[in-house]
Amino acid sequence: MHPAPVDRLIAELGKLPGIGRRTAQRLAFHILRSSDEDAFALATAIREVKERIGLCETCFNLAEGPTCAICSDPRRSRELICVVEEPQDVIPIERTGEYRGLYHVLGGALSPIDGIDPDDLRIDELVRRVEAGEIEEVVIATNPTTTGEATAHHIGERLRDRVTLTRLASGLPVGADLEHADEVTLGRALTGRRSV
Amino acid sequence: MRVVRVAPRSFRNLADEPIGFGPGLTVLHGPNGAGKTNVLEAVFFALTGRSCRTRREREAIAFGSSLARVEARLEPDPGDDGEPLTMMASISGSEARRRLVDGAPAEPGDDLRRPAISVFMPDRLALVKGAPAPRRAHLDRLVAALHPARAGLAREYGRALAQRNGLLARARRGAEAAALSAWDRALAERAEPLVAARAAAAAALAAPFARAASELGLDGSAALAYRPRTGELDAGGIAAELAARRESDLARGFTGFGPHRDEVEVSVGGRSLRRYGSQGQQRLGLLALLFAEREALRAARRRLPLLLLDDVMSELDPERRARLVAMVDDGGQTLITATELDHVPAAAAGLAIADGVATAEERR
Repeated sequence: MHPAPVDRLIAELGKLPGIGRRTAQRLAFHILRSSDEDAFALATAIREVKERIGLCETCFNLAEGPTCAICSDPRRSRELICVVEEPQDVIPIERTGEYRGLYHVLGGALSPIDGIDPDDLRIDELVRRVEAGEIEEVVIATNPTTTGEATAHHIGERLRDRVTLTRLASGLPVGADLEHADEVTLGRALTGRRSV
Repeated sequence: MRVVRVAPRSFRNLADEPIGFGPGLTVLHGPNGAGKTNVLEAVFFALTGRSCRTRREREAIAFGSSLARVEARLEPDPGDDGEPLTMMASISGSEARRRLVDGAPAEPGDDLRRPAISVFMPDRLALVKGAPAPRRAHLDRLVAALHPARAGLAREYGRALAQRNGLLARARRGAEAAALSAWDRALAERAEPLVAARAAAAAALAAPFARAASELGLDGSAALAYRPRTGELDAGGIAAELAARRESDLARGFTGFGPHRDEVEVSVGGRSLRRYGSQGQQRLGLLALLFAEREALRAARRRLPLLLLDDVMSELDPERRARLVAMVDDGGQTLITATELDHVPAAAAGLAIADGVATAEERR
């Protein structure tokens, strides 16, 4: 019913996660109405990200070139690796400013229902990085979900006795009331308690 | 929170007119087929979007209509905080059911704003005499009602179980069971808190169940016991057991050990009510279970559930009828159906039901 290019744009936008047909339509008409400058900037940004951004050969984080900015930063500690599921998980850890080691991005989490096995994740690559020798501690920072926990257990089994293994603690959010904590969180916080 | 009014539209044989309910006990009475049970079902449907009688909610659409809808108005009890609430559910022949809470699509948290619902209907006897699965699900709902923060434990366990079973099923078709031991541990870590939560909820039920059963005249000492399939094992022990049973799990393609095989045993005089109980004993057992849950919720200072009791009086003698009425006369809201108003020996509000039309009567 719309001219073919408009329909095409709606169809492409509709493939994005969380975008239904009506939202896709709204976005498409927004783009149609916007200035040439804004619309082409969006198109260029999409093109650039696909042409210039790849995965780091070492840690599989996003990289402009063969090695990511973190792996090529000489000030980062080479003895410490933090294992995360997805590239976007690197960002919150970087924002803390507390972490000065390297990363390893698995590219997902184990999920047999979705057919995701250890082979589909970059676990062998992690084991090889550890075997190369320089690394002293691996911090497993997969999500505290069913799939993230199973992934953490699996990595734990693969790396046991080869390196110091730690798991990101889970516990109470800062500033929260004990009274309102859910039992799973509180239970884990108790298990992971520390001396004062 | 109590239901002050439901407004059905094209729901079974009910007239499209609002039906009002008072606090405390209301007796719905009228001849067979008048629509008494339909009123209970309409209340349940408005609050949950489901039927308490059938899995096929579309059966509730009145003949000749395309859509059934029930709207319920809830108001806080005196002294209760909380805002009045309107819950609406609809079902049509062609579309999925819809639930609105105060006009917006229902969200999971909304069900914590309404009272829990305890239903006694003859076909709910499956809870006492059927397979263990509905008893486990029922216990898990009680866990959630007693401790809302524990509501996610069964769901989390279910997720891990589905993943492990997915892996086993694929391995059975010839794929490699990669990372199975990681899933053993993930499953075991979720099993332990679930078993603990179920045990705590069952323990809270045990004494009130025995008491309610004896009040209702279930002869012989009645008992309710939680039998966790994993016994006393903690997460480490459960993981070890899963590892030990790996071969048989791989052969069957699913997980044979864990809290998804738990049993809740209801017995009278040491004999399983499920296997050896008469129909009458099983009815009393179900009733005692509902009252025990009510007691446990009260002890935990949670709101009393809304009781929907369909045709409980017919098999009770006058003395037990009086006891039952005394047990519901405790501040909670209760709707009872009976063919004769006289079957409910109490100063209760009456609703006469005839041909789907409800007429309020003076409180006796």
